Amino acid sequence: MRYVYLGIPLAPLAGAIVAGLFGAFWPRLGRAACHWAAILGVAVAFALSLVVLWEQTLGGGEPWNGAIYTWMVSDGIRFEIGFLVDRLTALMVTTVTFVSLMVHIYTIGYMHDDPGYRRFFAYIALFTFSMLMLVMSNNFLQLFFGWEAVGLVSYLLIGFWFKRETAIYANLKAFLVNRVGDFGFVLGIAAILAYFHSLDYADVFTAAPMARDLTIEVLPGLEWPVITLICLLLFVGAMGKSAQVPLHVWLPDSMEGPTPISALIHAATMVTAGIFMVARMSPLYELSETALSVVLVIGAVTAFATGLLGLVQHDIKRVIAYSTLSQLGYMTVALGASAYAAAIFHLMTHAFFKALLFLAAGSVIIALHHEQDMRKMGGLRRYMPVTYWTALIGSLALIGTPGFSGFYSKEHIIEAAHGASRWGAELAYWAVLAGVFVTALYTFRMFFLVFHGRERMDEHARAHLRESPKVVTVPLVLLAIPSVAVGALTIEPLLFGGWFGEAIRVAPEHDVLAGLAAHFHGAWAYALHAVRTPPFWLAAAGVLTAAVVYLWRPALAGLAVRVARPLYLALVHKYWADDFNEIVLAGGARRLGRLLWQVGDVLVIDGAMVNGTARLVGMVAAVARHVQTGYLYHYAFAMLIGLLAMTSWLLGLMR
Amino acid sequence: MLSTLSDLTLMAPELWLAAMACVVLVADVYAGGGRGTVAYLLAQLALLGGMWLLLADAVPAPEALFGGAFLRDPLADVLKAAVLVLTVAVFAYARGYLQGRGLDRGEYYVLGLFGVLGMMVLISAGNLLTLYLGLELLALSLYAMVALHRDSLEASEAAMKYFVLGALASGMMLYGISLLYGVTGSLALDVVARAAAADASDPVMLLALAFVIVGVAFKLGAVPFHMWIPDVYHGAPAAVALYVGAAPKIAGFALAMRLLVEGLGGLQAEWADMLVVLAVLSIAIGNVVAIAQTNIKRMLGYSTISHIGFLLLGLIAGTRDGYGAAMFYALTYALMAAGAFGVVAIMSRRSEAELLDDYRGLNARNPWLAFMMLILMFSMAGVPPTVGFYAKLTVLKAVIDVGALWLAVVAVAFSIVGAFYYLRVVKLMYFDEPPEEAAVRAGLQAGTVLSANGLAVLGLGLLPGALLALCLQVVG
Amino acid sequence: MALTFQQFLFYAFAAVLVGAALGVITARNPVHSVLYLVLAFFTSAALWLLMEAEFLALTLVLVYVGAVMVLFLFVVMMLDIDLAALRAGFTRYLPLGLVVAALIVWEMASVLGPARFGPGRVAAPAPHGAGYSNTKALGETLYTQHLYAFEVAALILLVAIVAAIALTLRRRPDTRRQDPARQVRVRRRDRVRLVRMAPERRPAPAASEPGGRTGTEEA
Repeated sequence: MRYVYLGIPLAPLAGAIVAGLFGAFWPRLGRAACHWAAILGVAVAFALSLVVLWEQTLGGGEPWNGAIYTWMVSDGIRFEIGFLVDRLTALMVTTVTFVSLMVHIYTIGYMHDDPGYRRFFAYIALFTFSMLMLVMSNNFLQLFFGWEAVGLVSYLLIGFWFKRETAIYANLKAFLVNRVGDFGFVLGIAAILAYFHSLDYADVFTAAPMARDLTIEVLPGLEWPVITLICLLLFVGAMGKSAQVPLHVWLPDSMEGPTPISALIHAATMVTAGIFMVARMSPLYELSETALSVVLVIGAVTAFATGLLGLVQHDIKRVIAYSTLSQLGYMTVALGASAYAAAIFHLMTHAFFKALLFLAAGSVIIALHHEQDMRKMGGLRRYMPVTYWTALIGSLALIGTPGFSGFYSKEHIIEAAHGASRWGAELAYWAVLAGVFVTALYTFRMFFLVFHGRERMDEHARAHLRESPKVVTVPLVLLAIPSVAVGALTIEPLLFGGWFGEAIRVAPEHDVLAGLAAHFHGAWAYALHAVRTPPFWLAAAGVLTAAVVYLWRPALAGLAVRVARPLYLALVHKYWADDFNEIVLAGGARRLGRLLWQVGDVLVIDGAMVNGTARLVGMVAAVARHVQTGYLYHYAFAMLIGLLAMTSWLLGLMR
Repeated sequence: MLSTLSDLTLMAPELWLAAMACVVLVADVYAGGGRGTVAYLLAQLALLGGMWLLLADAVPAPEALFGGAFLRDPLADVLKAAVLVLTVAVFAYARGYLQGRGLDRGEYYVLGLFGVLGMMVLISAGNLLTLYLGLELLALSLYAMVALHRDSLEASEAAMKYFVLGALASGMMLYGISLLYGVTGSLALDVVARAAAADASDPVMLLALAFVIVGVAFKLGAVPFHMWIPDVYHGAPAAVALYVGAAPKIAGFALAMRLLVEGLGGLQAEWADMLVVLAVLSIAIGNVVAIAQTNIKRMLGYSTISHIGFLLLGLIAGTRDGYGAAMFYALTYALMAAGAFGVVAIMSRRSEAELLDDYRGLNARNPWLAFMMLILMFSMAGVPPTVGFYAKLTVLKAVIDVGALWLAVVAVAFSIVGAFYYLRVVKLMYFDEPPEEAAVRAGLQAGTVLSANGLAVLGLGLLPGALLALCLQVVG
Repeated sequence: MALTFQQFLFYAFAAVLVGAALGVITARNPVHSVLYLVLAFFTSAALWLLMEAEFLALTLVLVYVGAVMVLFLFVVMMLDIDLAALRAGFTRYLPLGLVVAALIVWEMASVLGPARFGPGRVAAPAPHGAGYSNTKALGETLYTQHLYAFEVAALILLVAIVAAIALTLRRRPDTRRQDPARQVRVRRRDRVRLVRMAPERRPAPAASEPGGRTGTEEA
């Protein structure tokens, strides 16, 4: 199996190398060869991950934890490349490779006319490799490697159209915001290394309970448990990568990248890295009540606040992006409530339906010749039936319609928040509950604006409207199937069957899911039962509101804006978070930098030290070279003087 | 005294080289039109044969011949091997240049071989007389080689200066040697060493020391006995500057080792004081004045001076580590210098490419050549992955170990100043527009040797351990 | 203190030697310099004779004075040396030069005085008998003890010869040379061709025909 494990990340890497390097240096390698290389690599990885999933689930395989290659051993600490393959890994790997494969296929259609075709395939295959390395890692070093690698590829892909000013701004922003998170993350890893003297998960998890009572003086006079500090620092990393408030600002802007990327990276996989990481670290987080509370509150705020922002966006992709933020908030809430399994479960279902929604949006965008403004859409149902129906499935899954996959995962997060007893749980519960309404509202606002109502596009665009080609619609259909079904099929083992085994550890007193298990009597019964719970009615209310405001009485929207003008302004300005960052943080940093540059660099270092020294040396050199007159007798005389000096010195020594 | 003929196998490499030099001389006269080719091939054969004879029975412990006049020890073997290897490379670089400039006559190779013989005699010298004779044999060959390009006014002027100053220096050194003979009654280095150790405060000995240092410093080119170096490097044809710049530095190190360390080791404290002044002046003046140069040969001349300062630092330390470091420095510097002048020789085939401006945009004209030059310049500047860094590091470590921290600080400060002019060459090669588009061809032979040379500079930088251990072992 | 005859000779020759050496570097005319050098060699030969180094003394006179210096003299006479240029700056640098020279001399004298090298410190060599061959003794030590150095010195001379030839010998392509071997090998028929021809009347001025001429051709 070792070679199977190794093959999973290496196959996409090989695809990336073939598509990227050979594509660049060997232009005769055709576009088709490039995309086949990348797709083949990912397909192999997907097939192998299915093997692993089968082996872990039905084959009765034991979790595998081992090093593949020892990079170096320093001071007794091993730096290795290794894999930890258990059910959590298997599930993640399968999800990642499946979505990635779909996106690869979809890309053939979406990027068909782009000059950066080869580059794009190289990037997404490389991204798949990085993500797999992150997920399969058995140590913090490799985790960090994967973490940074997905960040890098994300940076490259957001700025894929590097001639666009906005794309460059967006990828820089994404990179910088992630840097803030990564700084915390790397500090966390450093703290782990300092206190546990190992980077291996197993070692750290074994040693963690013993370190429970260790404290560290964070500020003078402020003692914190080490575990709490570590968990919080790691979570700062997760906040960056999984776009939690206040580090969420990069994700909406990242929609500047091509749509397949939005689907792959900014919906289904990379942004879930933080969720996955916290779940993976559950043995650590379980030891720190404080950290879990922080996670819970941050998640709740993200889930509700960013959902509201989706209401005022006009760009179709931005709506989905804010939806992603909100859903990531849900997952984070689940983590904070110690319902790690629910978080992973939602992660999986969300990956399917959010990828579906993005790709459907992409399909619409192609049909409208890269028009993304919903105000110029409407009534597309008649032209694009496949897209319409798959988008509907995705939307229904997103708002948690009973029976759809999103329903099972989201419902349990709400229940878990309700059942949790730690500080902040109450707030979280109300936030996610209210979020259901908001989700339904913005989702169907988008849906109605795009597919129903008046046709607002111009004549020229309307004339060319037609359903997207097969390479686009087939992935949509393939993603629609799990969006509907995967929840009902897998909920029982994933949440209540103890399926994750040792991969996720929950302290008994925190185990909210165990409490829910008592009320669970099968997926269908649960779906039927749901019509009697508040979330269902909230969702229904949301859909209804959307229908009223955006289909039947469009004037109401304008009225709402006038009535709740302060709220509307806050939303349009995204709570002024970008302005705050831009003016206070970035502006302050720039002003400070400029000051240091002008005083420190230009004046002191460049002016006085570097140039001053250089000028001085240059002058000395110019003078000194004239000692070399070229006259023989000068040279001879210099030698004589030297001799005289030496004899005088040596003989003077004697006296 | 010579007891049996078989004892002569100890000096088989020298005998072979002397014989082969004469063979080349005669063959050169009788060979027809392609004279240079015959002489060149025979000369390379002579060097490789000498190498083989040398390595075939390398000695594990010192052995002497002719009553101690000829000394063969591991130190001598290593230094001779280095001289031979470098000269093979030098001849390979020089060949194309000599052909291109109409200087492809046998004399270059004959004189070159005699020079090598002189270096070997010097390296193996066990008494003051052979030391001096070896030095003179080398020096005379060099004077003649510098003047070889008779039609060049600059070359003649350089040869004249070199000859007169060299004569002055060797006269002073000879005077010092005669004083040593006068005060000890013997020419043998071991006798001198005992006398020096017995009474380190003998004024005659100290006076002799001053005169002897002049000779050593002149040979190495330390300030203020350095004046010949820029003029000779500048005036001499590139092929000759190449020869002068490479292997003779190893001979200079051998001279210092034999005379100062082995002969006058008892006066180490006294001569170290002298050398401190010489070293600091060399490092400072070499590095600073090099910046003002526009001629690359002249710049490399000043660079040599600064490197000699570093070499002297190792001797100043006066410990086994220090001598080993100095030897490592001498060997690796000679390697770098051979490569750098090799590039100059390759560039100068059609016309003397000696201005820094001639190297503008070299990357566009021959990327590999530019890359080799980059490695060599980095190494000379002491940039880490190259051997130059390691050589400087070991020397500085030796100096710091004996507590002369200030010396190390001064050396480092000036080598930072020096990095400027090396990097300027790199900047010219990579970031400036070439003055002409025509590609520069190195040719198979010179190209191969240059690649080996450049990669050796890099490889030794990555794995310096073996050579350094060897140096420490043979000086101990 | 009585002066023996030998001592008298020594001081006399030594005084002339120092004077001649000074003359070499101070004489205005280079020819005079060379002649002063000859004088210096003569007097040092005389000093060596006093030290029973007869062979060396005679070699000095024969080789240096007889051969080397004569050659020198020729060279110096043939060269057109611009004395004014050589003298330029002489007076400017003289004071400084004198100071440096004086300091070096003073230092050397203070160290190398009789206190360290006087007869008290260095024993006089035992005088040899009348049958003692200086030449033989020199030969013996030269070819045994100093064989190696001797051979290296020979190589130095060889290099000097090579260098001298390499630097001075010029083969000009337009120079015509004699080749004695070919001159000797020449046959009559190579040079002279007899042509039988009919007698003819006095020709018109322009009618000199090629066929009517007897010519020699250079080989």
